[in-house]
Amino acid sequence: MNAWLLELWAAPAALGFALLFNVPPRSLVACCTLAVLGHASRKAVVDLGGDIVLGTLIGGVVIGITAEWWAKRHHMIPTVYSISAAIPMVPGTFMYKAVQGLLGIATLSRLPAGMAQDSAQQLLTDASINAVKASMILMALAFGIAAPILFLPHRRD
Amino acid sequence: MLMPPTRATLPLQEILELSLLAGLLVHQSGGDTARTSATIRRMALALGASRADTVVSSLNIGVTVEQDKLRETAFRKAPHMGANFTMLTAVARLVEAVEEQRIDADTARAQLDEIVRQPHFYPHWLIAMLVGVSCGGFAALFGGDTVAIACTTLGSGTGMALRLFLHRRHYVPFMFAMASSLTAMLVTGLLLKLVHSGTQEAAMAASVLFLIPGVPFINGAADLFHANYLNGMVRIMMGVLFVIGIAVGVSLALRIL
Repeated sequence: MNAWLLELWAAPAALGFALLFNVPPRSLVACCTLAVLGHASRKAVVDLGGDIVLGTLIGGVVIGITAEWWAKRHHMIPTVYSISAAIPMVPGTFMYKAVQGLLGIATLSRLPAGMAQDSAQQLLTDASINAVKASMILMALAFGIAAPILFLPHRRD
Repeated sequence: MLMPPTRATLPLQEILELSLLAGLLVHQSGGDTARTSATIRRMALALGASRADTVVSSLNIGVTVEQDKLRETAFRKAPHMGANFTMLTAVARLVEAVEEQRIDADTARAQLDEIVRQPHFYPHWLIAMLVGVSCGGFAALFGGDTVAIACTTLGSGTGMALRLFLHRRHYVPFMFAMASSLTAMLVTGLLLKLVHSGTQEAAMAASVLFLIPGVPFINGAADLFHANYLNGMVRIMMGVLFVIGIAVGVSLALRIL
C-alpha cells in the first residue's frame, strides 16, 4: 500500500470514537477529515526529517486550530472535532512495547542469576525508552490540541 | 452586567434552577471546567441575575445567583457520565439562544428537558462494531497487514461490547478497563495463532487502543492550561488509573498467550 494512502486509515480510526462520544451525525465527516489531516501532517514532518514528537506536536496544533476555526463557523464546540481526530495519533506501539518490557522483567525469575541481571537491564532500558517516547508523544498531542487556549487571550473569571 | 427590566421579573429560584441544570448537563457530557463554569454564569446573567459565582469540582457543581441584594445558592451532585457531544453542543446553542433573547425561560426549560431525554444517536451494537473497525485502522496505521487488521477488528469489537456491557452494569472504570483489555487482546492473540500474520505486534498493540481515555486527558490538559489545576489533576488521575487498568489486562493476556 502506498504510504500516503495508508494515512486514510486515520478516518475509520476516528469514526469509531466519534460514535462512542455521540458526535452529531452531521459532524462525523469533519471529525474524520480532521483526523486524516492531523495524521498526515505528522507523517509530512517525519518525512521532512523531523522526529515523531515534533511531528505529533505539529499534527496536534493543526487539529486544534482547524477545530477551533470550524467550530466558530458552524456554532459548534471545538472539542467535538478535536478529541476524536486526535486519537489516531496515540502512540499505541510504544505503549504496548513498554508494557511488554515490564512484563518481561516480572517473568525473569526463571533464568539463572547472572543472565537474569543482564536481560533485566536490557528489558528495563527498552521499556523505559518506549515509555518515555509514549509520554512525550502524548504530552505533545495534549499541547497541540490545547494550542487555541494557549495562543488566544483568556479572561480569568 | 444588568439585563433589560422585562427580563428581571423571572424569580431568582427559577434562574438558579435553569442555569444549574444547564451547567450539570455540560459537566456530565464532557465539557471542561471553564466551559461548565461559563455556561452556568452566562445562563444566569442572560435570565436576569445581576451576578453569578460558580463552584465546579470534579463531582459537584454549585452556584450563587444574585439579584437586588437577594441571593440564592444550590449545589448538585455531578457524577461522571461519559462524553456525549450531541448534548454538549445542544446546551451550548441553547445558552446562545437565551443570551440573544431568541427564546424565553419557559422555552429554555422545555428544551433542556428534551435534551435530557434525548437518547444516543447510535445503538450499542453499531458502536461496538465501528470501534472494532477503529482499532483495525490503528493496526493499519502501525503497519499491519490485512490479516492483522481483520483480527484486531474482531478482537477490539468483542472487547468494546464487553466494555459497554460492564459500563451498563455499573462496574468501576478500573475493572472494565482491565476486563475489556484482557478480552480484546486474548481474542486478537488467539485469532492470530489460527491465521498467520507477519505483523503480529501491530495487531496486538492496536487491539486495546479503544480504551484510551482521550476525553479525561484532553479535558485535563485544557483544565490545567485554564488554571483549574485541581480539576485538571483529578481528570488526569482518572485517566492514569484507567491506563493502569489497561496495562494490567494486557499483562494478564500476554502471560496467557
